[in-house]
Amino acid sequence: MAKAAELLPGTLDMLILKAVSLKPLHGYGVLLRIQQISGNVLQVPQGSLYPALYRLEHQGLIAAEWGESDNKRKAKYYTLTAAGRRRLREEAAEWNRLVAAIGAALRATPDEV
Amino acid sequence: MFRRFRSLARVLIGRRRFEDRMSDEIRFHLDAYAADLQHSGLTPEEAARRARAVFGSVDGVREDCRQARGLRWLDELWQDLRYTWRLMRRTPAFTAAAVVSLGLGIGATTAIFAVVESVLLRSLAVDDPGKLYFLAHGDGDRPSTSSNYPLFERYRTADVFSGVTAFRGTALKVSTGELVEIVPGQFVSGNYHAVVRAPVIHGRGFVSESDRPSEGSDIAVISERYWIRRFGRARDVLDRTLTIEGRTVAIVGVTGAEFGGFTPGSPVDITLPLAMYVRTTPRYLQAHDSFTSMLIIARLRPGVSEAQALAAVDAIFQQFMEEPENRWARGQTQLFSRARLQPAGKGDDWLRTQYRASLFMLLSMAVLVLVVASANVANLLLSRSTARAREVAVRRCVGGDRWRILRQFLTESAVLAVLGGACGVLLAIWGASLILALFSTWRQPIVIDVSLNVRVLGFAAAVTLATGLAFGMVPALKGTRVDLTAMLKGDSAGSGIMARRPLLSRALVVGQVALCVMVLVVAALLAQSVRSLKARPAGFDAANVLLFDLNVSSSVVPRTKLESLYVGLLDYLRRLPGVASAAASTSTPIHTSGDLRGLALPGLPETPEARGMWANYVTTRYFETMGIRVLRGRAFTSQDMFSTHKVAVLNQRAARHVFGDADPIGRTIAWMGAPEQPIEVVGLVDDTLQDSLRADAPRMVYSPLTDTQLPRPIQVALRTTGDPISLAGNVRTIVRSVHPEFIVERVRTMDAQIDAFLVRERAVTWLSVAFAFVALILACVGVYGVMSYNVARRVREFGIRLALGEREHSLLRAVLGEAMSLAFVGIVLGVGGTLLVRRLISNLLYGVPPHDLETVTGVSVALLAMMLIAAYLPARRAARVDPMRAIRAE
Repeated sequence: MAKAAELLPGTLDMLILKAVSLKPLHGYGVLLRIQQISGNVLQVPQGSLYPALYRLEHQGLIAAEWGESDNKRKAKYYTLTAAGRRRLREEAAEWNRLVAAIGAALRATPDEV
Repeated sequence: MFRRFRSLARVLIGRRRFEDRMSDEIRFHLDAYAADLQHSGLTPEEAARRARAVFGSVDGVREDCRQARGLRWLDELWQDLRYTWRLMRRTPAFTAAAVVSLGLGIGATTAIFAVVESVLLRSLAVDDPGKLYFLAHGDGDRPSTSSNYPLFERYRTADVFSGVTAFRGTALKVSTGELVEIVPGQFVSGNYHAVVRAPVIHGRGFVSESDRPSEGSDIAVISERYWIRRFGRARDVLDRTLTIEGRTVAIVGVTGAEFGGFTPGSPVDITLPLAMYVRTTPRYLQAHDSFTSMLIIARLRPGVSEAQALAAVDAIFQQFMEEPENRWARGQTQLFSRARLQPAGKGDDWLRTQYRASLFMLLSMAVLVLVVASANVANLLLSRSTARAREVAVRRCVGGDRWRILRQFLTESAVLAVLGGACGVLLAIWGASLILALFSTWRQPIVIDVSLNVRVLGFAAAVTLATGLAFGMVPALKGTRVDLTAMLKGDSAGSGIMARRPLLSRALVVGQVALCVMVLVVAALLAQSVRSLKARPAGFDAANVLLFDLNVSSSVVPRTKLESLYVGLLDYLRRLPGVASAAASTSTPIHTSGDLRGLALPGLPETPEARGMWANYVTTRYFETMGIRVLRGRAFTSQDMFSTHKVAVLNQRAARHVFGDADPIGRTIAWMGAPEQPIEVVGLVDDTLQDSLRADAPRMVYSPLTDTQLPRPIQVALRTTGDPISLAGNVRTIVRSVHPEFIVERVRTMDAQIDAFLVRERAVTWLSVAFAFVALILACVGVYGVMSYNVARRVREFGIRLALGEREHSLLRAVLGEAMSLAFVGIVLGVGGTLLVRRLISNLLYGVPPHDLETVTGVSVALLAMMLIAAYLPARRAARVDPMRAIRAE
């Protein structure tokens, strides 16, 4: 397993939105999904997960519904709303721009200056 | 933004469910994680423990979730409110003092504002009042709104207006069975209700009635007030009729109570078509030769500006004045120079002009009282916050942040403000009606609906908010700024920063005293003004005189019969026991000046200043009844009443104006309208104050009552041997027993007549005195409170001083001295403030010298005395401190 990396501040929301966009998930499922799609690199600190979920729900970016889990227990499932989809697109685009810019900056060689 | 509110609201409603669901969710997570851990080989107990450990504090997470949902600040607010409630219950005296102070201040201010709103700010209850204008004329600040019918007809052609209408106020004699009642009414042009767009709640208004009398002219629209008063809100009112001056008039509509015509304060009850007036006065439609109390109202067409309308109106007006019939008006260039538009959306401004200055003065005083009240509460809060310094220090030490504690202090202030505001609003409801009742008299009953509408409540809320911030901010800030180490070391109330005299607290007391001085001085000056006005020599004897208005119910009584009726009535009245003398006249002192007429004085310009005289038509024994001295010559006799040889009596001012210092007796005068009819002057009497107690006595010419057009309303005066009140109840029946056609209205004593003139001054004085009283009480309570607190704070210091040998009375004097020095500084500042304010109220004062040392000194001494009393008890407590206990105590 690759060494676990710490979540950059401000990216948790984006990752939650992405995780939920693939399929409706409950809180624990979001945790696992983020781990999975990041190739087991990103570990979400469990104490910050639920406050983030509640915040995103408050802002209307995800919607919650109570349903049944695989083992027939009641769980709260989160789905992405239209606004959430928009926000995810925006944040992902912004993130990619940032990454490209930093990457370009880091690749700068002495003779390019 | 909205979304967040909705989500918050949803959570609030199902709070319990929210909490349960949150627990379920977290539990599910922990179970799922533990299950996964079990799969990787841990025992169930180990898995559960590991899951919990990794998850972290469940309560912490729940708290964070609550905050994410926006619940935290709400929870904290609820906490603060509960704490405040407990605190208030623990200190009921403090809470009561604060809430009552605020209630008085906010209540007084809101009450006055409610009156200001209904008198000065409110628009008429019609559609789009901003588009209505009076069509007036003249130069100067006060254009004249009186017009005539021909001019009205010209204006109707102007297409800048969507409608032009006219009205003429009158007093209607309405018969109900045996009795005849005088009801305020108006004659209006046939499109009145259509143009004005007044609310018609039953039947119809006048839309296109003709102004020329016809079969269908005998109709009326009544007001809702009249409908309730006369018909008890009967559903069949549209089938009923009124008998007005002998004619049967059908009721066709009812207007809503919120609309009472264009004279605020004097609502109209019966509206009749102008055609009914034209029937009795046919030449009214063509009367060019006077501008006769008919007011013209126009509604601006949408899209037309005021400037455009004025231009159009002025063009018509100038053309009108060029017409040959209007040549007589040419001389009066100021009055007929040009047309003017006067906004009519709030009705005519008689009431507003009368009361604007007084109301603003009262509002200022109320605000001062409010400031004094707020200063009181601020001081109380300051004292209490220093007492709670220890608590604050502890809270901050255990990690509370300053902002949180500050919020709690502010919540306390907010709760006090809201409670005070609620009391204030209750007080205002009662107070506003009381204030209006003070201004209303038999002569000019002011009928206005003072209600706590949105504007007034909004004002109350704004005042409450401002007050709460004002008195709450500073004590909260100071209270949370605490020197932690000094506090916890045990120097609680005795020393450290607390030993320094609290400057703010003393500044507040000084401020309160200063404001108190200002309010007291103004009240005292106003009271003196009223006294001076009443004491002004008026030229007649006001004691023991009973007056009433006399009218005849039908206008078709032949003149000779009328004259003999009057003579018969006066004879009868004079013979009554308790009546020393009786007379009738067209005007009486401190009521009206009479008819303005011009004397034929060739050589002098034809202006009111040069030739104007006030004509008063009187019967025999008028001067005796009024107690007016006859200086030379004689009064009228019964021969004068009926002879063809015309006579008159002049007062001194009139005589001096016409004849200089020469003896007027035997000389002749003539009126401008009838220069060939000589009138012999047979008597000279004292000047009397007629229209006003403030103005000079007018130039008066008294003529026999038979010289004027009868019937017209006259006033009858009785000089009684005893108290005139005793006759007041019976006079109506007595007069009607002489002849049932007589209508008696407005029975009053001369004292009441004078008081009615002074109603504005007296009402304002009463209210100022009330405010001054409240301010004084508040200031005394404030001083007492602050002194008590300071003494309690410095108990140790006093104990030491006494132990070191200082005498009790010397300590008492020292403490009192401190309080008195504060009061003294406050008084000096207050006196300075009064001098600034005097200029503003000078037009309400009368007969009070510019820098009235007496009043100011009197007030200062009284205030010092009150402060002394207020400070005495706490000072005595200081002197009575037991040194042993004080030094040992903390």
